[in-house]
Amino acid sequence: MSGDLLNLTLRIWRQAGPNAKGAFRDYQLQGVSTHMSFLEMLDVLNEKLLQAGEEPVAFDHDCREGICGMCSLMINGQAHGPDKATTTCQLHMRRFKNGDTIVIEPWRASAFPVLRDLVVDRSALDRIIQSGGFVSVNTGNAPDGNAIPIPGHVQEVAMDGAACIGCGACVASCKNASAMLFVAAKVSQLSLLPQGHPERASRVIDMVAQMDKEGFGSCTNTSECEAACPAEVSVTHIARLNREYFKAMLITEK
Amino acid sequence: MVRVAGETLNSKVPDGPIQEKWDRHRFNLKLVNPANKRKFSVIVVGTGLAGGAAAASLAELGYNVKAFCFQDSPRRAHSIAAQGGINAAKNYANDGDSIWRLFYDTVKGGEWRAREANVYRLAQVANSIIDQCVAQGVPFAREYGGTLANRSFGGAQVSRTFYCRGQTGQQLLLGAYQALMRQVGLGRVKMFARREMMDLIVIDGVARGIVVRNMVTGQFEVHTADAVCVCTGGYGNVYYLSTNAKGCNVTAAWRCHRRGALFANPCFTQIHPTCIPVSGDYQSKLTLMSESLRNDGRVWVPKNAKDTRKVTDIPDEDRDYYLERRYPSFGNLVPRDIASRAAKERCDAGFGVGESGLAVYLDFRDAIRRDGEDVVRKKYGNLFHMYEKITADNPYQVPMRIYPAVHYTMGGLWVDYNLMSNIPGLYVLGEANFSDHGANRLGASALMQGLSDGYFVIPYTIGDHLATAHLPKIADDHPACLAAKKDAEDRMTSLLNVNGRRSVDSFHRDLGHIMWDYCGMARNRSGLQGAIQKIRDLREEFWKNVRVPGSGNTLNQSLEMAGRVADFMEFGELLALDALEREESCGGHFREEYQEVDGEAKRNDEQYAYVAAWQFTGYGEEPVLHKEPLSFENVKPSKRSYK
Amino acid sequence: MFLNALTRILSLPAVGLSRIPGLGPLVRACSTSVGQKIVMAITGLSLCGFLVVHLGGNLLLYAGEEKFNAYAHALHSQGALLKVAEVGLFSLFAAHLGLAVSTGAMSRMARSQSYAMKESKQGIFALPAGGASSWMGVTGVLIGIFVITHLLDLRLKMNPLVKYPAPVAAAEGMTPELNEFEVVRTVLSSPINAVVYFIGIFALGIHLTHGLRSAFHSLGLNGRRWDSLLKCGSLLFGWVIAAGFISLIFWSFAVPR
Repeated sequence: MSGDLLNLTLRIWRQAGPNAKGAFRDYQLQGVSTHMSFLEMLDVLNEKLLQAGEEPVAFDHDCREGICGMCSLMINGQAHGPDKATTTCQLHMRRFKNGDTIVIEPWRASAFPVLRDLVVDRSALDRIIQSGGFVSVNTGNAPDGNAIPIPGHVQEVAMDGAACIGCGACVASCKNASAMLFVAAKVSQLSLLPQGHPERASRVIDMVAQMDKEGFGSCTNTSECEAACPAEVSVTHIARLNREYFKAMLITEK
Repeated sequence: MVRVAGETLNSKVPDGPIQEKWDRHRFNLKLVNPANKRKFSVIVVGTGLAGGAAAASLAELGYNVKAFCFQDSPRRAHSIAAQGGINAAKNYANDGDSIWRLFYDTVKGGEWRAREANVYRLAQVANSIIDQCVAQGVPFAREYGGTLANRSFGGAQVSRTFYCRGQTGQQLLLGAYQALMRQVGLGRVKMFARREMMDLIVIDGVARGIVVRNMVTGQFEVHTADAVCVCTGGYGNVYYLSTNAKGCNVTAAWRCHRRGALFANPCFTQIHPTCIPVSGDYQSKLTLMSESLRNDGRVWVPKNAKDTRKVTDIPDEDRDYYLERRYPSFGNLVPRDIASRAAKERCDAGFGVGESGLAVYLDFRDAIRRDGEDVVRKKYGNLFHMYEKITADNPYQVPMRIYPAVHYTMGGLWVDYNLMSNIPGLYVLGEANFSDHGANRLGASALMQGLSDGYFVIPYTIGDHLATAHLPKIADDHPACLAAKKDAEDRMTSLLNVNGRRSVDSFHRDLGHIMWDYCGMARNRSGLQGAIQKIRDLREEFWKNVRVPGSGNTLNQSLEMAGRVADFMEFGELLALDALEREESCGGHFREEYQEVDGEAKRNDEQYAYVAAWQFTGYGEEPVLHKEPLSFENVKPSKRSYK
Repeated sequence: MFLNALTRILSLPAVGLSRIPGLGPLVRACSTSVGQKIVMAITGLSLCGFLVVHLGGNLLLYAGEEKFNAYAHALHSQGALLKVAEVGLFSLFAAHLGLAVSTGAMSRMARSQSYAMKESKQGIFALPAGGASSWMGVTGVLIGIFVITHLLDLRLKMNPLVKYPAPVAAAEGMTPELNEFEVVRTVLSSPINAVVYFIGIFALGIHLTHGLRSAFHSLGLNGRRWDSLLKCGSLLFGWVIAAGFISLIFWSFAVPR
C-alpha cells in the first residue's frame, strides 16, 4: 500500500546555528511514497543522512495533526506548502510529482530568528500575548458559565478567531512580515465575547505596541495571510482589530 | 514472583462521607499566609492543561513560579490536540445529570480501579472548570439563545460534554496559556521554553529542584525550588505509533521514578477506537478522530468477509453494526476499551476492511440523510477536513475507515489525595499521575482532570507542604544539585559516544512493535514474558549500536529523541511486568486468560482491587511492588455492562 | 541602518506634533503601525474625495469652453480660501506619502533576509505578484511624478515643453486673462504629456482599486456582509476615476480647435 513512488530533489536551507551563515543544499531522495506526509518524507531523508554520516535536518514539529502550530516551513515559496487550510504536517506527498524540485526554507522574519536549519524562534508571539492577549480573571472568580448569554453567532465568530494555532504562517507569507492576523485573531475573539470587554481598549493598544516592538511589519491589507492561514482565520478579524484600535484611540481612556 | 512491600500505601484520603471529604480536607490543610507566599518558589514542569493551569493559579496566589516546557511555546503542549470536549455535571440539558452520576459513571467507566475519593472530588470541581473557562473567554459552543451547548460522549447516557467545535482541547489550553502568559507578563512566572527536564533533585528525601537541558544551547541548568510539580503528560509513545505528539515522552516521570517516586498501574493504557488506520511502515504517528463522531456515526463491517462491492453499495442487511448488535443500550457510544476490543474482534475474525484488513467503517450516511450535510459539517467539519487531508477520501460520501490506536495512559506516578507522590514536595498532575481514571478513562474526562488538578486542587494542597515542611534554602551548587546535573550530562555524553549504526528512530519503532504486539489491546502471560526479554535485548543493543549524530552543545533533535527512547526502553519493561502481574482483565488491560464466555473482560476484585505502585531498585533490577488497596463504599463493584 | 535612519527622520513631524500641548497622547496612538495606517487611510480617503470633486470639475470640459472657464474663474476667485485648500491638500498628500515610506521602511526591516522563492497562495490576479496591493509603492511613485508634472503644467504653468496660449482680454479695456479651457487642451494634447498623464492616471487607477478598500479596512469599516461589495466598489471606483481622467486626454486631441 505504498502508492506511487516519487524521485525528488530537495533544496533545503541548512544553517548550523543562530549566528552561522546558512546556505541551500540539494539532496536527492528516491522512492518517496505518495501516501507519506511531508514530514514523514523529511524523516526518511534524515534517516538517509544519518546512514551517510551527515547531520539530519532540524525542523520543528510535534502533534503532526495540524493543531499544535509547531511545524512551519516555506515549501516552494508557500507557507505550509501549496494546499489551503493545511499545515505542513498535514500536507501529503501525493501533492507532488515525480521529478519535482522542492525548495524548503525556514520562516523568514526579523522577529523570527533562525535557531538551526529550518527551526526558528517564535517567542515574539508569546510576548505579544503576554502584553494583553488574555482576560484578567484569577482562578475561582468566575460566575456561572450561563450567567451571561452569548448569542450563538457571536460565539461562532469569536471561535473563528480563536482557532488560530500560532504557527506564524501569516507572518511568513506576508510581504511585510506583519503579525496582524495573529494579533487580530486574539483581539477579535476577546472583543467579541462579553468576558473580554472590560479590557478591550487597553488590550488592543498594548498588543499593537508589543507587536511593533518585536519588529513585525505593518499591514497593507494584502490578504496573503488569510490565504496562507492553516486555521482559515479571516482578515475581517484584522478589520475588527483596526476598529477596536480606532475606538480605543479616539473615545476610550488609556 | 515480584517482591511486594510489607506496608500498604497511605493515600491520605480524609475521613467522612464522600460528599464532605474535600471540604473538610480543605479546612484541615495548613495555609500559607498571603505575605509569606512570595517567599516560596514552585517549579512546574510541562505547560499543558494541568501544568499551565497550575502555574497560572499558583502565581495568582503569589508564589514565585518557574514553568518549563520542551516545546517552543507553552501553547504547543499536546493537550491542544484534544478534540471532543470536557465533562461537567451542570445538568444544563435537564436530563437527570448530577455530581453523583458523573462520579458514578467515572468510577464504573474506570472499572473500579480508581480511587473513589479522588473521582468524587473531580466530579465536584468540574462545574467550576466550565465557569472558569467561560470567564477566560473560551468560546464554548452555544445555542442560538446564548446558553452553553452540550453533546454526548461514550460511557454516559446524559449529555454533559461541553465543546468548542472539534478543538476543545485547543481552546481550553489557550485559556490556561493566556492565564499563564498574563502571569509571565506580570513577572510572577518565569517561563523557560525549549527546556527538557533531565532529572529531579532530591535533598534529604524532599524534592527541591530539577535539572533541565536548554535544547537550543545544549547547556544543563539547575533550578531549585520549594516544591516541584510534574505535569508532563502520558507515556503513550512507548508504543511508537500513537495519537500523542512526537515529543511526548516519559522521561520526566521516569527520572522521578528513578529518584524514588513510585510508578502506578503502568499497564493501564487506553487504546482509542477511532483513529485513522496505519498506511505504511514509514508512518510516524496516528491521528485520532474524535469520539464525538460516534454521536452520529455508526460503526460497521460487512457481514460477508471480503465483500467486494463498493462500500456505498452494500445494503443494510449485509452490514453488521456490531456495536449496536452487542450493546443495544449504549450502542455506538460504549466506552473506548469496549469499542476498541470489539473492532479488534471483528478484524481478527476476518471481517476487517481496507487493504490491510485492519479497519472498520464509521459511517455518517444516516446522519447526513437525517440532519443534512450542513448540520453534520457544522458539528464535525474540521474532523472531516482532517480525515480527507490524510486519506484523500471524502467522508461525506464514503464511510471513514478507522482502527484503534494508543491514545491515553491511565497509569502514571503514584500520588496521594493531595496529588503528592511518595517523595515529599513532588506533586504530579494531569495525565502524568495515575489517580482518577482507573483502568479506563471515559471520553471528555482527561481535560476535566488536567484542569481540575491545576486550577482547583494543587493551589490548596501545595500550601500544606510549604507551610509544614522544613525547607532550608538550597544553593544551585549544592552537592546534590551538582551530582544530578553531572548524571544528566554523563547520560547525554554516553548516548553521543555509542556511535553505532542504527538510528534512534529505528530502535523506537522496534520497541513500539514489541509493545503493540504483546502489551496492546490483548495480552497474555507467555507473550508478556517474551516481551520483557525482547525489551531487555533491544535495550542492550540500543546502548551498543545507536547512532546519535552531532554534538551536545547545539540544537540536536536526534540527541533529544535518544534520551527519551532510552527511558522508554526502561519503562516499557515495567509496563510489561505490571501487565504480567495483574492477572485479571479490566478496562484497557485485557488478559486473554481472563474473559467471560462472550469475550467480555473478567475482573478479579478479590485479588486485584489495588493500585500497583512500583518502586525502582536499580537499573535492570526487579522493582518492588507497593499496594494501595482500593475500597468502594459508594459505587459498589459489579459487572461492568453496557448491554 | 539606512532604513532605521529613514524612519527616525520621518517620525520627526510626529515628534514635533506630540510636543503641542494636548496632542501628545493622540499623536502617540497614531504613531504605531496600526495608527499610521489609520492616518494613511484618512488622508487617502480625503484625497479620494478631492479626486471626485476634481474630476467633476474637469468633466465640465465636455460642457464647452464657456461653462468650464466660468467654473475655473469661480474657483480662482476664492482667494484666501483657495490657498487654505491648497495647503490642506498638500499636507494630506505629504502625510500620505510620508506614512507610506515610514510603514514601508518598517516592513522592509521586518524581513532582513528575503526568501529564495516566494509564491502567493491567493487566486489568480489581474496583476502579478499578489495583485494591486503589491504595486502600491510603484504606482505611488508614478502618481508622485505625475502630480509634479501636473502642478508644473497647470498650477504653475511653467512646463518648458508646453506652448501656453497668451492671455486674452475678454473685452476692450479689461485685464487680459488666460483662457483656461485652451490651456488645458494645449497641455493635454502635448504628446509627451499625453503619455505621462496616461501612465500616471493608469497608475492612479491601480492604486485606487486597492487603496479604497484598504482604507476602509484600516479604519475597521469592513464586515462579512459587505466585504465583497467593498471589493467590487473599490475596483469600480478606481477605474471610473481613471477612465474619467483618461478620457480627457483623448478629448484634448479630438476637440475642434
